[in-house]
Parts: sequence; C-alpha cells; structure tokens
Amino acid sequence: MNAGSDLQISDLTIAYSSGGYEARPIDGLDLHVSSGQLVLLLGASGCGKTTLLSALASILAPTAGSIRIGDTEVTGLQGRALMEYRRFRVGVVFQSFNLVASLTASENVQAPLRLAGVSGRRARARAEELLGRVDLSDRLQHRPGDLSGGQAQRVAIARALAHDPPLVLADEPTAHLDYIQVDGVLRLLRGLAAPGRIVIVATHDERLLPLADRIVELTPRKATASQPPRQRSLGDREVLFRQGDPGDLLYVVDDGEIELVRHLVDGTEEILGSVGPGTYFGELAPLFGQRRSATARAAGPTTVTGYTVTDFRAAHGDVIGSTGQDRPGGDGGQALE
Amino acid sequence: MWLISLRDLQWRLRRFVIAVVATGLVFGMSLLMAGSVFTLYEDGRRIVRSFGADAWVVAEGTSGPFTTSSPIPAPAAAEVARAPGVTAAEPVVIFQSTVGGDDALRDINLIGYRPGSFVAGPVTSGRRLQAPGETVADVELGVDLGEVVSAGGHDLVVVGLAEQVTWYFGQPTLFVALDDAQAIAFRGQPLAMGVATAGVPDALPEGLRTLTNEQVVADLDRLLESAVQTIDLLNVLLWIVAAGIIGSMVYLSALERSRDFAVFKATGATNRGLLAGLVLQAVVLSAAAAVVATIVAWLLKPFFAFTVEIPAPIYLRLCVVVLVVGLLASLAGLRRAVKVEPALAFGGG
Repeated sequence: MNAGSDLQISDLTIAYSSGGYEARPIDGLDLHVSSGQLVLLLGASGCGKTTLLSALASILAPTAGSIRIGDTEVTGLQGRALMEYRRFRVGVVFQSFNLVASLTASENVQAPLRLAGVSGRRARARAEELLGRVDLSDRLQHRPGDLSGGQAQRVAIARALAHDPPLVLADEPTAHLDYIQVDGVLRLLRGLAAPGRIVIVATHDERLLPLADRIVELTPRKATASQPPRQRSLGDREVLFRQGDPGDLLYVVDDGEIELVRHLVDGTEEILGSVGPGTYFGELAPLFGQRRSATARAAGPTTVTGYTVTDFRAAHGDVIGSTGQDRPGGDGGQALE
Repeated sequence: MWLISLRDLQWRLRRFVIAVVATGLVFGMSLLMAGSVFTLYEDGRRIVRSFGADAWVVAEGTSGPFTTSSPIPAPAAAEVARAPGVTAAEPVVIFQSTVGGDDALRDINLIGYRPGSFVAGPVTSGRRLQAPGETVADVELGVDLGEVVSAGGHDLVVVGLAEQVTWYFGQPTLFVALDDAQAIAFRGQPLAMGVATAGVPDALPEGLRTLTNEQVVADLDRLLESAVQTIDLLNVLLWIVAAGIIGSMVYLSALERSRDFAVFKATGATNRGLLAGLVLQAVVLSAAAAVVATIVAWLLKPFFAFTVEIPAPIYLRLCVVVLVVGLLASLAGLRRAVKVEPALAFGGG
C-alpha cells in the first residue's frame, strides 16, 4: 500500500453519445480526497456515479481533465502501465458482485492474483487471509450460488483487496442486500478506509451517509429557497445556459427570441425550436434536479426573467406540465395562458 | 487463466460431455473413413507385392494386368522370358468372378498362375497349388481346407488359405492354376492378362510393354479415385460439423462469460490471457473428442464389410486435424471475448 496516495481530480469532464446526442454526466469536476478517507458519490440513477468510478478504475477514458493518485496520472495510462494500474492500484467491488459462478469463494479471490502471476500456493494463502478478514473462513469452498447476498458481497470486497490496492471503488455495494446483510458490508467498507487507502463508494443509499468522510453529490440539488425573479438581457447568440449545466431556474421570455439547441456527438447541433415572448422554458432541470438537456441562447437581443419553480407557480399558477404535451426535456418552451 | 477455464468446463460439464460425445462420434466416423481409404490403397500394394514380380508385361496400349480387358497370348511369356534382363516370366490371369450358387453368389478376385512357378502366392495354412482343380482361398471367404468351392462353374478344392489378399473394396481372392483360370475366363483359350517377370526386361517383342510394380499399383489406385474423392469430401464435411459443434460450445461459453471477461479485464487481465483460456477449452474439448473418436472407431471397425486398418499416422493426423478444427472453430468465441468492454463489469444486475 502506498502511503500518501491522495486522489486529485481536476476539471474532469466525461462526455459520451446518448442516442446521438452528447451526454456529459461529469462536467468540470474538481475533487481532492486524502488518503484514508471514505467518499460517497451520491446521486440518482444516471447522474454519473458509475461513469466516474469507471474513469477512476481507468476503464473509461475521460473527455478532458486529470485524475491523479499519488504520483500516477491515471488518465494517461496505456498498455502495460494501464494493466498494472488495474491490477495493483485499484480494487473494484461491482454492483451485482460479479463473482465467477464456476469458481469457489477462494478461487474468486485468487483469480486476480493468479492473473498477475502469483503462485498458486501464495494466492491460496492470500485468499484465505482475506476471506478470514471478511468473516468467511468457513465458506472458502462455497460457490457464489451457495452464498447469501451479503456473503457474496464480502467475497467481492475480498477480491477487490487481493493486491492491497491504495484505491477501492464500490459501486452500489448495498443495492442487492437486505438490512441485515447491509450492516456487515457497511462496517467492512468503513474499516477499509485507513491511512494509505481511499475508498470511494457510489450509491443512492442514504443509510451510508454517516459512514462517509466526504460526500460528493453528483445530482444538482433542487432549488427550494425563494428568490426574487431575475431579469436578464442577452445579446445576439449569447448563451443563457448550456446543455449539461445544473439548473435551478426556469425562464419566461419577455422580449426577443430564445433558440433551444441540442449538441450532437459529432460536434454539430440540432435546433429543437425557438421560444418567443410569453413563453416559459427550462423547467425540468429545476423541477427534477437534473442537468439541462439542451442549450438556450438568444436569437437577437432578448430579455428573459428567471424564476424558481416555487416563485413561478406563485406568479403564474400551476401551469407546468398542465398541457401534457411531449416537449423534449421540458426545454421546448410552452406558452403561458 | 487455465484454472478458470477448466473450472468453467467443470461448471458446464453436461454441455461439455454432450459436445465431446457428439464431436467424438463425428471424428470417429472421420477416423473410420480415413482407415477405409488407407486399407483400400494398402490392399492394392499388398496384392501386387504378393506376386513377387520385378516387372509386368502387358499388351501395348492397355492398362495394368489387374484392370485390363485386353489379354495377350499366354505363350508370349516364353518370348518375354528370353528377353534380356529377364530370368523368369509367368503368364497370369487376373479377373473378377463369383463363387457360390445362385442363392449365395459372392464376388471374388480370381488369380491364375502356373503351380510351381516363381509366382507362388501367399499361403497362411495348408499348402500351395500343385495342380489344376485346387485353390488357395482368402480366409475372408470363410471356407475351410478340403472344402470345395464353385467358381465360374468349376469346382475347386481348397488346399490352402491366405490372409490379407483382399483388394477392390475388400473383395476376397481365390488363387487357382493357370489352366483353371483360362477355363473360367477364356473357355480354355491360352490367354493371359499379363506376364509377371523376375528381372526387368530391357527389350520386348512388338505389341508388348513393361510396367513397374509402382505403375501396376497406380493403375489399381486409379479404380479407387472417385470413391476416395467422395470419402475425402465427406471427411471435410464431418470436420466442418465437428468445427460447428466445438465452435458453438466455445462461442456460447464466451457469450455467457462476457461479464466474467469484463471483470477480468477490469482487474488487469490481458486479452491474450483470456484468449489462452478459451483456446485451452477448445483444445481440451478437441482432445477429449479425439479420445472418444478412437474408442468409437475401435468399436465400429468390426461392423464394416471389409477389414479397416487404422495405422498410427492416421491417429496422429486425427490429432492435428482435431487441434486445427478446434482452434479454427473457437475463433468466433475468441473474437467475442476480445470485444468485451471492461466497462460491462460496472453494469447492474
């Protein structure tokens, strides 16, 4: 284990194609995690938790930015260095355990060791030691199908620790466990975060909150505080908000015209439509706490007023979604009555 | 990785056994066919060798003595015997006939030569021919010493038995005196299919030509060509079937293990390691199929209408074919394994 292996994420952006459109679940993320910390990545499904874990495991190459663990720049790894990073520097506890059904608990833990060229005898001894640490000494020869969910998850944790990596990633470790099984897994994960090791857990399970040293929320918080409407003047082609931005306000066009566009993977853009005076748009992001699904920019000099959802409802009544029309991402614009 | 692959085979044991048995049956058929082809060729070499001739003389413009339908006058043997380089020359009559009555006719090869000549013919038990009216019979005919067989309407007493003298798809052979053979084939006319010589003639009377033993064998092999081509084609088809069985087994395994491969890749396994594991599966399957094939061939051999010999080189060839077929068949599975993205390991449930 490398002492002082802090994790430094700088301006990390991960974009990929989602049905032809560019999705950008991680956009400009900065994060520093000190060795020994347990970090929770919290957020709803699709917010980018697993995407970030994949990048940390060097399985997914980020679009931009940097991930450093200690003195290793993870994003630039290739070939043998990449393979060795995956083998020795990071351990992953996958969401559905992902144990190999044909192997016993001991063999599952031995697998990464054997793949790295460790002798059979040493691999067996290490597997026994690790399974002992997760209280499974009496289940060495059991296959995954003969283990409970909690036991299987503990085998997966033991496997992730095979090479004693300085970074342990756990993807929804409690997703398939009942509350009794969760207890043992939580204590185990907490115990792993010791000096020399960082544990990062992606979850939407709020039972894990008390365990964390740091909580990183990847889902934008819904704006609840009331704030006065804000009028904003935009020049021609000036951007009001970008696709992928968190959003806490919805807008009403007072004057001029707003163009709503969606960026495609090939760098081009698709115009979804335009909204004129007396029309509101951009309500889904603040309403559901998700990122903007399109970019809004002015088509000529334009004035808009931004409202929180609460203030908008107070001013205009509960008109949002009342027509039931299908508008892409809620950003297509809807005329006020 | 080899341990993981072998464990996977254990895990899917029933499917593995079914694939091994099916592939083994297919390779067993292939082995029997290869053995049959070998036997057909080897019969020809053996029967030609059994004459003990150094060369053969036949009519100009005809095929070899075993296949020609253009006989030469038997007395020509005396002229051939005087040719330089020849120490002895014997007329031989070789043709196909039948034995038994109307209700049990059986095709045979019939070879006639002068008793007491250097063309003695093989005898395993009993004695050689001494006079007309006698025959040395192939044991494949199932007759006993002293028994009388009727060939082409002539009764012949069995005085000797010979082994491994079948040819032309396992057809048994009767050795008879030249006079008897001429009586059956030519109504007693002094004709012969050719002349077997001790020594190689340097010059021959007009209208005759010399053939070496190799040329005579090649002439016999010619008869088998179309049959062997058909068998070879069937063999290739059988290999394709075997490849299909092994290929689908390995591909299914790769398909079902996609998540496992993704996990291994995510934990630093190389494509080469994964491929080695899959290749190992294909090789183990193929090797087990080869063992089953050998057993199948050994069990089924006696049921063939003629003796099937399977010498060691054919078993060796089977091993090579099985290995190549196994490796080629596993290509689709290998490709599948290479394409698995490690990110798949992060997928939920």
